[in-house]
Amino acid sequence: MSTHEEPVPYAPEEPARLRWAQHAPEVYKAMIQLDAVAGQGLDPRLRELVKIRASQVNHCARCLDMHSKDALAAGESVERIIQLGAWQESRHFYTEKELAALELTDAITVLTDGFVPDEVYERAAKHFDEAELSRLIAAIAVINAWNRFGVSTRTPAGHYHPGQHK
Amino acid sequence: MNRTQLLDPKVFRAMAAVSAAAKKGLGDPGLAELVMIRASQINHCAFCLDMHLGLAREQGESEDRIHFLSAWEETEDLYSERERAALALTEAVTVLTEGFVPDEVYEAAAKHFDEAGLAHLIALITVINGWNRLMVSRRVPPGGRQP
Repeated sequence: MSTHEEPVPYAPEEPARLRWAQHAPEVYKAMIQLDAVAGQGLDPRLRELVKIRASQVNHCARCLDMHSKDALAAGESVERIIQLGAWQESRHFYTEKELAALELTDAITVLTDGFVPDEVYERAAKHFDEAELSRLIAAIAVINAWNRFGVSTRTPAGHYHPGQHK
Repeated sequence: MNRTQLLDPKVFRAMAAVSAAAKKGLGDPGLAELVMIRASQINHCAFCLDMHLGLAREQGESEDRIHFLSAWEETEDLYSERERAALALTEAVTVLTEGFVPDEVYEAAAKHFDEAGLAHLIALITVINGWNRLMVSRRVPPGGRQP
């Protein structure tokens, strides 16, 4: 067996379906403004975990690229990022407060399975005061919005540099 | 337990700005309401349904076209091909958890909307999904809209 085998190439990258921000610049500007105010005052580390988790649930490649890189650059551990995909089984990587936020993130992201259960809401309300909870809900709604832009326009992952949009 | 009705006014205004820009860019207020009603049905948002059913009626939308939205695929002659493409895209972009936005759905929409129209349609679907989440999670009751 040769030690100089050619590496097997990856599948080709497809271009985005639509460069939506160029075609809807006023919407893009308004989204940037919304992003800046939603989640203001939330722990930035928690906010990044919430963004990664919602992006996993919604399968947003571009958003996972961005937020895992931002989280790593901000000092988040690789383990905590990877285990987000199975947070229910890896509770010992997160605080109770983070777990309540992740559970709320899942519920608000998957509304089609039936509302946001009382027990999920109440656990979150135990760990977050009312103002904080309102901010957390806004942050979850807004990453869900970015996920929809990313997935519907099939914006490819891999080109994000940490802090690029800060 | 009562849920918080708090929503930072800055967030509300920023959301309203995204909505306004999306609607303006789409330039079809009738279709905009159909899209927002359909997404609110899928996400079970009582507050949003109340608001957009009211707006659709005020704009003169027919009761038939409102009633049959949840079964638009089974209807004949009630919605145009362009509206049907937009409704199919609405459903796909609203339910991302069941697997992306299929090529055939995207392509059907791209046949009826130019790139700017499509970008604003996607934005509108996205922003109503945002409102749905803000209202369902806080369990905001219907009836908050002033006609």
